[in-house]
Amino acid sequence: MSTAPTTLGPVPSLDSLRAPLPAETDVAIVGGGIAGAALAFYLARAGVEVVLVDRGELNREASGTNAGSFHLQLAIHQLSGAGTGADRDRLLADARLSLEAYRLWQELDDELDGDVHLHETGGWMVAETPEQVQVLRDKHELEQLAGIETEVVEGDALRERAPFLSPRVLAATYCPTEGHADPLSVTPLYAVRAAEHGAQLRTHVAVQAIDHHPEPGSGAHRFTVRTDQGDLRARRVVDCAGAWSGEVAAMVGLRLPVRHEGLHVNVTERRPRLLPSMVQHIGRRLTLKQSSQGTFIIGGGWPAPAVPLPHRYPTRWQSAAGNVAVALDVVPGLGDARVVRTWSGVIVFTDDMSPVVGESELVPGFFACIASTGFTFSPMFARQLAAQMAAPGDHEPFPERYAVDRAQERPAQP
Amino acid sequence: MLTEQYLDLLVVGGGPAGMSAARTAADAGMRVLLVDERPTLGGQIYKQPGPGARVTDPAAADRSTAYGRSLIEAAQSSAADLVLRTSVVAVEQDDDGFAVVVVPDGERATTLRTRRLLLSCGAHDRPVVFPGWTLPGVVTAGGMQSMAKSQFVLPGRRMVFAGSGPVALAFPAQLAHYGADIAVALEAGPAPRPGDAARVARIARGNTDLLRDAARYRATLLRHRVPLRYGRVVVRAEGEGRVERVVHAAVDREWRVVPGTEQSVEADVLCIGYGFVPSLELLRLAGCETDFDEDLGGRVARKDDWGRTSVSGVYAAGDGTGVEGSYVAIDEGVLAALAAARDAGVLDERAADERAVPARRRLRRRRALARSTRRLFRVGPGIYDLADDETVVCRCEGITQSEVARAADATDDVSVVKALTRAGMGPCQGRNCARHVAASIAKAHGRPVGTVDFATARMPVRPVPISAMADADVADPGLFVADHEADGADGADVAVSREEGPL
Repeated sequence: MSTAPTTLGPVPSLDSLRAPLPAETDVAIVGGGIAGAALAFYLARAGVEVVLVDRGELNREASGTNAGSFHLQLAIHQLSGAGTGADRDRLLADARLSLEAYRLWQELDDELDGDVHLHETGGWMVAETPEQVQVLRDKHELEQLAGIETEVVEGDALRERAPFLSPRVLAATYCPTEGHADPLSVTPLYAVRAAEHGAQLRTHVAVQAIDHHPEPGSGAHRFTVRTDQGDLRARRVVDCAGAWSGEVAAMVGLRLPVRHEGLHVNVTERRPRLLPSMVQHIGRRLTLKQSSQGTFIIGGGWPAPAVPLPHRYPTRWQSAAGNVAVALDVVPGLGDARVVRTWSGVIVFTDDMSPVVGESELVPGFFACIASTGFTFSPMFARQLAAQMAAPGDHEPFPERYAVDRAQERPAQP
Repeated sequence: MLTEQYLDLLVVGGGPAGMSAARTAADAGMRVLLVDERPTLGGQIYKQPGPGARVTDPAAADRSTAYGRSLIEAAQSSAADLVLRTSVVAVEQDDDGFAVVVVPDGERATTLRTRRLLLSCGAHDRPVVFPGWTLPGVVTAGGMQSMAKSQFVLPGRRMVFAGSGPVALAFPAQLAHYGADIAVALEAGPAPRPGDAARVARIARGNTDLLRDAARYRATLLRHRVPLRYGRVVVRAEGEGRVERVVHAAVDREWRVVPGTEQSVEADVLCIGYGFVPSLELLRLAGCETDFDEDLGGRVARKDDWGRTSVSGVYAAGDGTGVEGSYVAIDEGVLAALAAARDAGVLDERAADERAVPARRRLRRRRALARSTRRLFRVGPGIYDLADDETVVCRCEGITQSEVARAADATDDVSVVKALTRAGMGPCQGRNCARHVAASIAKAHGRPVGTVDFATARMPVRPVPISAMADADVADPGLFVADHEADGADGADVAVSREEGPL
């Protein structure tokens, strides 16, 4: 089947990506995913000297392997199981953040003069049990407080508006402004534009150690980033290494509250339009959407082994079989669609479900830009962090719960 | 077939290699199961008439069908279990061997457990990308052979055959036998020199059947007045909505088109047979290393002279590991099965060595012949230069040569080209375009094509309906809480206990 060809967007130039590593810079960014590329763009646009390094290719990890949904509704990965009462403040803050992140996504095509293939499809969050329905109602209330437009739909109204949902679905919340973008387009576009603004991006540069000089000399280079391609002296270092951000932070003696997990995604052949909107589940691991190409992308966080580089991550049949079973429970019309491929990526999670964004107090000059579900949030955090780094003091500090040092066991004597 | 007990050996593929392997291993005393996705055994080469098709005139069926029949009967009379219409879609290694997911046609997926795995998955036609290659009416030799052998159908009236290698002689002869009107048969390689036949005959002592085959094919072509033209390739297929004309041209030794030599011929079918390439999906999914040998079909499985791959417990035999034809496949199947039996302790070393002697002797002779004819059949690098900017390279996703070339300029990583362009993301998982994309990358970076690997193999290696894949018994991992000690490193935490109520 040959349908409308996709149009290849701008691609970063190989010559510059493989050019020799500069000897020094103001800001060194470690990690060429969406957070690093976005940060490089916003910093360079503000006139800050920046060098980004990645040990592999750009956009090869979670940023390029996630399923591309951007979330507005509170979702299962944000729930701790302790109840909306206990998590109320965090969930409300998360909901407000989502809205802000989403507004940035809406501007992204203009900001980057390109196409991130943003599709505002709307999204359903479904519940199959009375307990899950109660969670839907509770989260709907929080979303209203945060200013996110959602509604609880059930009974005949649900059958009429979402005939593709199974009778097992008792109720669902609908959010008209959710959607998805193309994970394969966004980061390359950020990278190309960052380079146009003077950022220097280098691939196949592996950071091996970071030397910290608490009392730097005249150049104020507090860090020497030691790589397999030579040393890079930097005034500031930003950890944008996602799933591996803990390892980078450990190079300057910091412990981050992060862990990583391999997550599984399935994709089917192209099919006639069945799903106008995304479908997620409030109590089971499912995100489901039909892409603009017509394929169904089925994910939601089923596990995959997080084996180390250089091997790409394998996928497990069990995860595929379990994941599509949830999808089939919710959307029975999927039965004869054929899964053509599975893949996995390794994604970062924070232990307390809050992001890690800002400057370390223990190691001044060392920054982090790490979000759980980074695809939705990274552009926003990168923009906020870049603003702070470009003009320190002009901006509100990040909330305490983002603190880079929060997992640190404080030494007895500072 | 569906049992929780471990098999000693699971053989994937019921062609000549798989059939001989299954029989050999069963004779040695192993508990063997062979699976094949087709409704009949025999593989591509010995494809039997399909269900419902009846041979009313056995004399009209060709000789290879009859030989295939004898191999099938031998496999059937062994103690090996043979299961047809069943696709293998995933392989995972576990503590005691391998979990192999199979999908019986029209049924739900199920997992087989086996201590050893023998992959004899065969080969498929080498895809060649040229302007018009996606037009209806362009068929591969294997596809056409399937139609002719199992359904007794030919897809058009007047055809052009374009190809190279042994098949370029054999195939038009077979088609002529089935009643095809062949306007011209194009062989990309040079015409045989007078010395070649003598040299082959000298080396090929003991291979008289092969020489006899070749002579018979040639005679058939003469009898049917099929013009056979050497040193020419197809450069373009033209037509409104389907093939109406085929343009061909002369090539040099590297298969690069010689300007000004184009000729056009009216035809409604273009059959492409530039040799075969190994179907490596399962081998790569199992983690087996590959090497590059253009004479054996490009990327091939790395294996020792017993058919052991780089992954312990995985054996490989036949064209699926490197294309050497059915006679070699039969003997490779024997050797790989003997190796499995020996590694399993079913046969001692001496017994395995002894039983391997005749197969090794035949293989030596066959390979000597193959080396002597390689000059005639080697695929030239010009095969990758036929596409123009607008030619669709990835036919599943509609990605053109200019898009692939632009991405290849930006990276030498095949996975990044795939991510940037979507080439290889469709239902065929790159079986059609992977070689061409690799060649484009190699060209852009001045590297030999053999240094560019394919994109990661992914399960399922065959499309699987969601209703066949779904398993409601797998527990949902539930909430994403930090304290369930999710240790993704070993992947064993798929079925962590389900949280009771999310909030």
